[in-house]
Amino acid sequence: MISAFLNTALPLSFSSSSRSVKLTNHNDPGPKRTKLKFIINQERKFAFMPLKCIWNSDLEWNARNHSFCVSCLTATEVPLGSSEVVADRLGRVVSEFRSLTEPIDRVKRLLHYAALLPPVDESVRSQENRVAGCATQVWVEAELDELGRVRFGADSDSEISKGFCSCLIHLLDGAEPEEVAKVKPEDLADLNVGLHGKAHSRVITWHNVLIAMQKRTAALVAGSERERSPPLEQSFPSSLVATAEAQIPQSRWQKLDANLSRS
Amino acid sequence: MPPTPLQLFSSAMETAIHKLPSFKTINPSFYTARGTASFRVGLRRSSSSLSVSASADREGDQDLGHRTRPDFPILHQEVNGSKLVYLDNAATSQKPTAVLKTLQNYYESYNSNVHRGIHFLSAKATDEYELARKKVAAFINASDAREIVFTKNATEAINLVAYSWGLLNLKPEDEVILTIAEHHSNIVPWQLVAQKTGAILKYVTLNENGAPDIGNLKQMISRKTKIVAVHHVSNMLASVLPIEEIAHWAHDVGAKVLLDACQSVPHMAVNVQSLDVDFLVASSHKMCGPTGIGFLYGKSELLSAMPPFLGGGEMISDVYLDHSTYAEPPSRFEAGTPAIGEAIGLGAAIDYLSGIGMQNIHDYELELANYLHESLRAVPNIRIYGPVPSGSIRRAALCSFNVDNIHPTDIATFLDQQHGVAIRSGHHCAQPLHRSLGVSASARASLHFYNVKEDVDDFVRALKDTVSFFNSYK
Repeated sequence: MISAFLNTALPLSFSSSSRSVKLTNHNDPGPKRTKLKFIINQERKFAFMPLKCIWNSDLEWNARNHSFCVSCLTATEVPLGSSEVVADRLGRVVSEFRSLTEPIDRVKRLLHYAALLPPVDESVRSQENRVAGCATQVWVEAELDELGRVRFGADSDSEISKGFCSCLIHLLDGAEPEEVAKVKPEDLADLNVGLHGKAHSRVITWHNVLIAMQKRTAALVAGSERERSPPLEQSFPSSLVATAEAQIPQSRWQKLDANLSRS
Repeated sequence: MPPTPLQLFSSAMETAIHKLPSFKTINPSFYTARGTASFRVGLRRSSSSLSVSASADREGDQDLGHRTRPDFPILHQEVNGSKLVYLDNAATSQKPTAVLKTLQNYYESYNSNVHRGIHFLSAKATDEYELARKKVAAFINASDAREIVFTKNATEAINLVAYSWGLLNLKPEDEVILTIAEHHSNIVPWQLVAQKTGAILKYVTLNENGAPDIGNLKQMISRKTKIVAVHHVSNMLASVLPIEEIAHWAHDVGAKVLLDACQSVPHMAVNVQSLDVDFLVASSHKMCGPTGIGFLYGKSELLSAMPPFLGGGEMISDVYLDHSTYAEPPSRFEAGTPAIGEAIGLGAAIDYLSGIGMQNIHDYELELANYLHESLRAVPNIRIYGPVPSGSIRRAALCSFNVDNIHPTDIATFLDQQHGVAIRSGHHCAQPLHRSLGVSASARASLHFYNVKEDVDDFVRALKDTVSFFNSYK
């Protein structure tokens, strides 16, 4: 068992959670991602304390060189997958940013979160993972774990965008697909840094990343449903426009898509 | 004796803070040091182009930026606790009070549809709308106002040419010459039309100076070339293309020339007859006019031979159930109710710019361009794109740049949040150009005649602080 310390003060309070995560094992020439159990030190409970991560792996912890799942920064003891967890985390993040009235403090907080974003494998920076509409380059990947929960990885060439990604992963990583689809962009309006107003804009990174996460989630669910049932005739729509497809009997992914279309 | 407009004008810039109703203002005295009259009075009196040109004649010790700033109330405000430094003029310009008043007057006094009613308001609106067309024609020295088509912006104007002229004239294997430095709006319409016609798009690359390679362009022109569609001033590189020569080469092989003049018409005298271009497009909002209006200049004989682009009212003579007959240009290309107030506002912007004099604007901006480039070069680890200014190479008053290991959007965010400096970041709708330069994005500071050297100083100081801030996180 290895302990790891992050030398940053975390403004949220954290506690334990046992879960599977994606880790990049740079020493392993085989599969690039390894499922590992990852347990936050049960002793550490309070805000503004170094975070100690412990997991049952022989890998050495290095926050810069290995994936670190930010969603371990859970604020409650409630098991992942509960909508209360997402709502609770959302409330904390929003109130945290709302409390920062000085612009520079908001930027600093985002840079702080950017430093916590787990590095991802270079392959994540692919064209198919690119988030459309961002002023910076952002890549998001998603996959379902064995419990059917969504695991996200993200990267950006901008530190501020990385901060947004880190916040979103903190909110949504490990959530049920339905919970991912439920989050509305306006819920996150207080995360705005460097942008004023609440209108959607093609340069609002967190908005674009959130939509990308939701679309990828819907696609994942659609994919897993296809594996269990006869293939659907139509592919996942590329734009968030309600179409006649909504009139066919709805599968789980179609309901998710319908939610997206309304948001 | 009541104060002259010049006295009011000067004194307006040096008074204490007077808040305008809807936003915070800052003390315009930052930019000058004389006078005592109130800012409010100064703004009111100095809003016409006449006061500007009058003061220009008599106020040799003040540069154009200081003289014109009071005409732009939006500049005198705080953003994020700092004095606004607006350096995003290549994206859009600010509007002088004269334009704002013209818009208000239109909607208050004679708002009505044009070319339709016989009542007083409609006649007045039609007169003013058509007068705006004449102003545009005179501004670019078109020989006839009927060569000016109002569009919603320059993008629509290029689409109009691509679809109307392009679909009619382009055949498989015909060539369209562009540069890799074109704005997306001068690439995508040609891609769409090439897809339909089988025409081939050829792109001019950059030379070793970081500007479009004119030699490459000249070599590319052949009998296969049907149109050369290029920018006048690059919105990222700040380079200026020799359009007269290009038009000469193109016409030698029977090809047409479309000039994207969005970044030149607001900043210099542009003469379509001496340039001898066949089409020219520009956008009102970049030249101190309202958004929602742009224009296409086209030689009369070309416009007359072109089919309509959009169908609807205004552009027809007679409509039958099975066919319609089309109106003559420019009406043929202005389907539906146009942006009447905006066109009239554009006319007011042209009056304002003409009152200052485009040559005066150009001369002053050349000075600003050199000052900006020189100041930015002093920032460590910076890469400025485009040619280096010299005696023979002139740049527009804008610089796109990157600083090592800091994303331009992060720079722009911090400049805004911490220093109130407005610049652009991203690909500036020129992704192919960015790719050719090996970057995905850049930051861009772009100036207009109402900017002053103090703006550049503030920006460079803020940029150095921004770089220090991000480097401290590494």
